[in-house]
Parts: sequence; C-alpha cells; structure tokens
Amino acid sequence: MAKKILIVEDEEIMIDLLQRKLTTEGYETSVARNGEEGLKAMREVRPDLILLDIIMPEMGGFGVMEEMNKNKELKKIPVIVISNSGQPVELDRAQKLGAKDWLIKTEFDPQEVIDKVVQQIGK
Amino acid sequence: MAIKEKNKEKDKISILLGDLASLESYAKDLFSFLPLPVCLVSSIGIILEVNPALEKISGYRIEEIIGKSAEDIFTEEEIEAISKETIERGSVLAKETSIFTKEKRKVPVSASTILRKSEEGEIIGYFIGLFDLTDVKKKEKELKDTQLALLNMLEDTKMARQVAEEERDKTKAIVTGLADGLIVLDKENKIILINPEGERFLDVEAKEIEGKILETLVEKPSLKKLAELLSTKETKRGIFRKELSFKKPTERILEITTVSLPPREENVVILHDISREKLIERMKTEFVSLAAHQLRTPLSAIKWTLRMLLDGDLGKITAEQRDFVEKTYSSNERMISLINALLDVTRIEEGRYVYRPTFNQIENIVQFVINSFKEVIKRKKIKFGFKKPKEKLPKVKVDVEKIRLAIDNLIDNAIKYTPIGGEVTVSLICGKKEIEISVKDNGVGIPKDQQQRVFTKFFRGANVMRMETEGTGLGLFTTKNIIEAHGGRIWFKSKEGEGTIFHFTLPIKEEFAEFLKKF
Repeated sequence: MAKKILIVEDEEIMIDLLQRKLTTEGYETSVARNGEEGLKAMREVRPDLILLDIIMPEMGGFGVMEEMNKNKELKKIPVIVISNSGQPVELDRAQKLGAKDWLIKTEFDPQEVIDKVVQQIGK
Repeated sequence: MAIKEKNKEKDKISILLGDLASLESYAKDLFSFLPLPVCLVSSIGIILEVNPALEKISGYRIEEIIGKSAEDIFTEEEIEAISKETIERGSVLAKETSIFTKEKRKVPVSASTILRKSEEGEIIGYFIGLFDLTDVKKKEKELKDTQLALLNMLEDTKMARQVAEEERDKTKAIVTGLADGLIVLDKENKIILINPEGERFLDVEAKEIEGKILETLVEKPSLKKLAELLSTKETKRGIFRKELSFKKPTERILEITTVSLPPREENVVILHDISREKLIERMKTEFVSLAAHQLRTPLSAIKWTLRMLLDGDLGKITAEQRDFVEKTYSSNERMISLINALLDVTRIEEGRYVYRPTFNQIENIVQFVINSFKEVIKRKKIKFGFKKPKEKLPKVKVDVEKIRLAIDNLIDNAIKYTPIGGEVTVSLICGKKEIEISVKDNGVGIPKDQQQRVFTKFFRGANVMRMETEGTGLGLFTTKNIIEAHGGRIWFKSKEGEGTIFHFTLPIKEEFAEFLKKF
C-alpha cells in the first residue's frame, strides 16, 4: 500500500509540483492550504509524513507543530519543514518542536525533497 | 699843598680806574664763562654782543654775528613781541621761541630778557638769555609718543574687549540655537553649561543642574545614564559617536561625542539626536528584508518548475528546449544568490548575523572551501597553493558557515579575477593572539582610486565590471562584517595589473568571547 504524505503549503504551484513529483515516486498525497486545514487533514488522513511550510495564512508551520505536540498520536508523525527562509533561529525552533528535517526552497530542488522523504519513511 | 692834593686826586683816580678795569674783566670773564647763550641786542634790534655759548648754539662766529639784526637769527614776529614786551615791562621770563643757526637749523629755546638803560635812563637795548630746549623738546616728544602709544593700547584693548564680547554673544547664540544638545563640564565633571536642546533631550532644567557635579544628579535617569557613559575609561580619551538610547521624556537615540578643551580640561559633551536616522535605517532594512523574502517565494517556484522540466518530470523536452530551460535555470539561480546576499546584508545591518560560534580548526574550514573550487581551478589552469604551518593550529571560535562564506568570497574573487594560468595562494600564519589568513593572486588588481571603497556595499571595480558581468558587489562588504563580528581585522594590498592580496585575522580562543556576546 502506498505511503501517505500530507502537503501543508499555501502556494499553488509548489503544491502542484510536489504532488506531481511525489505521485510519480509512488506516494499518495493529500493537500492542506493552511495550518488549520492541515491539522484537520492529518486527523482524518493519518499521513505517514507531513511536508510543512512555515509561513502560511491562518496558522503557520510553527503553530501546526505546537498543536501536534499536544496530541500523542499526531506527535508521532514525522515532519519535514519546507520553508523559504533558512534563518538559524527558525531552524532551531523547528528542531525543538520536533521537525525531522528542513528544506530551504531556494536551495533545494524537488529531487532532494524525495531523497529526504525516502530517508524518513522509505519508499 | 695844591700839588700834593692834586697827586692825591690822581692816585685816587688811578685806583678807581684799576678797580673799574678789574670789574670790567670780571664781567667779561663771567660773560664768556656763562654756559647759557646770552646776547645784547640794541634798542633798534642790532646784536651788539654775544657770549661763546651763543656762538656755539648759533654756529656763527662772534665777528659774524655782531652787527646782525636779531631778526636774522630769531623768528621775526617772535623777537618783535619779545623786544616790545621787554621795553614795556623791563623783562621777559622764559618765553618759548626758536633761533635759526648758521646752517638754517631751527633750535627751540626759552628766552628771558632784561632791559638795559644808560646812566641817564636812556634805553640802550636788552640782554637776551637763551635756554636750549632741544633736549626738553625731545623728551617732551618722547613723552607725547608714549602717551599716544598708551592711548592706542587702551583703544586696542577696548576694541579687543568689544570683539571678545561680540564673540561671546555669537557663541552664546550658536550654543543656544544649536540643534544638538550641548553640555560643558569642568575638570571635576561639574556642569558649567547646558543648552536648551540639551535640557530637552535629557528632560532637565539648566538652573537646577548648572554648578552641580554630574555624578551627584543620579536621581534623573537620563543624567545617570550619561554619567555612567562618561565615567568609563574611554571617556578620558574622548567619546566619538557613542549611541545611547533614552526612554524619557520620549524615546530617543542620542549619539554622544565629547571634545576636551585643553586649557582648563573642560569637556564639551555633544548630544546628537539620531532617532530619525535610526528609524529610517530600520525601515530600510526591514523593507529590503521583506522584499527579499517575498521575492524568494516566486523564485523557488520558478526554480522547482524548471528543475522538474529538466528532470523530465513534466514530460519529454527537446534538446533545444532543454538548452533554453537550462539557461533560464542558471539565470534564476543567479537571482536567488543575489537575493540571498541582500538578505545577508540586511541581517548584518540588523546586527543579527553571526550566530552561535563554536570552537573549530580554521585549517579544516579553509580546506573545505578550497575543495569546492577544485573544478574551476582545474578549468582555469590556476596554480593554486595552500601554505599552512606543519603543527596543528589553536582553535578559533567561529560561526563556521559565516567564516566559510567569508573565505569563499575571497578565494572566489581571487580566482574569478585572475586570468587563465594565473596563481592563487592561500596562507595561514599563526601569531600569539590571532591567526592570519591571506589570499593572494596575480590577477587584475583593484584600481588605486577605487581602493577606498572596496568594502562598501555594491562596490565593483571598474576594471572588473568590464570583464565579468556577474557579481553582486556585496561579497567583500559581507566578508568584512563577518570578520569584524568575529573580532578580526581585514585589509588588502593591490596594484592594478599585478594582483591583490587580502589578509584577515581571527582571534584565538577566548580573546573575544566578550565581543561575541553582542551578536
């Protein structure tokens, strides 16, 4: 059975690209366009991994992780943060909140996202 | 008897004649001996007799002067007046006049006269005695000159006082009207003067604090803050543009500069309000930061789309299409690196750039950076050297990523601006307190007239702009800030057409632990 990945991201083109890439690699994807939606979706879908953007309307990535940490089940789901910024301060905060990995959009490309996903949950 | 009597008479006369002769010679001797020039003038103004003293003063010999008219040697009107007065009153006492010598020189004299009458009471003429006034006149003139000089000096002093007063008023007007705050402290830090802006900035009133020692006025928070700054060791040498922020009466950032006035060891404290500059600076930095962040989002979208196109994730593309997409991709990459450099600059300006330094071996960091250039070194056939001491270097406390970036910028420049087949050498030297790293090339060099601007934002050498279109002009600005944030120094030597050598230092171990706390 294909592994489920939840993409929490507000930018259409990014969603589109990630979905395409992940589907090609054989993953099953679902999408949430802000933090609130993301939390709702992860409760319903129970994904194997979450790709999480930081700056989003409604609730940002840090807020999502804080909420996840309050729930025993959600806390277990590995998170890879995908952000536009590579600020050490933000990186630290994401790590403290339990993010498994971190990607800066301008520095990585879609293939590297796949590599990191595989590293976390396998194919 | 008659004969006897006659002889007796004869004897008497001869005795009297003898007496008379001796009297005459006495008078003559006295006349010639007298140091005062004297002459006898007849009632009609002819000189009848003169003594040697008059000969001397007039320059005429006796035979020349006797028989001359008095008017020949005296001023006409004056001698007329004198003779008239003498005849009327019998004498004249010390009347100032002058005589003319044989050489026509005018000699000032004081003349006194006495009338001379015959036994019958007939006026024969008068004696005129002279007193040479040349010396007196000279002394008088000197005295007058001295007096004049004194008067001039007095006038000068008056003028000087006036100028000083004007100057004082001017200074006062400047001090009062100055847009900067100004405080003058004496040797003991007693407040001698504070101008209105100073009062406003520090929320104090001049009449309450003037004459008091600054350190005793600690109940006012603003003065306490200022006193603390001024009591530091550096203050003795003078403060230059030190920032101090105040909460009251309004939020304000002041730039403090002190100037000492040597004669009385007074200290002038200048308070310059830079709140507005600071605000604008912050707004600018925030704007650039925000703009750069906003730009990154679409740039990553473009990057990912192009990458997927190139990877064939979005279907097959032709070789021609691939070529175009690849070029677009690399343009986009350049744009991303420019935005990143801009963001680095804003972080430097916000003072939050160097982050969490750790102890590291600098030679490893340098080696790591050199490795990333292997390909381009090969491609450009650069003779590359890395000189380092044989023994292990002491550790330095650095933000590894930032130091890598700094070294990367220097080596990148060296290689970029050195022609094919050129030489680039990186050296490490270990000193007592610091490690010095240098990057030397024999490339195009930096034009002399532009060397001063090398470390400023967006600087690019004129010669370099012609040969390489790429380059943000932010590399060396960033590098300098990184090095200085680590407590190091950076400098260079360069000659156009011959090459450039950049040096920088990093302090060893705890030397700058205090310094880093700020970041």
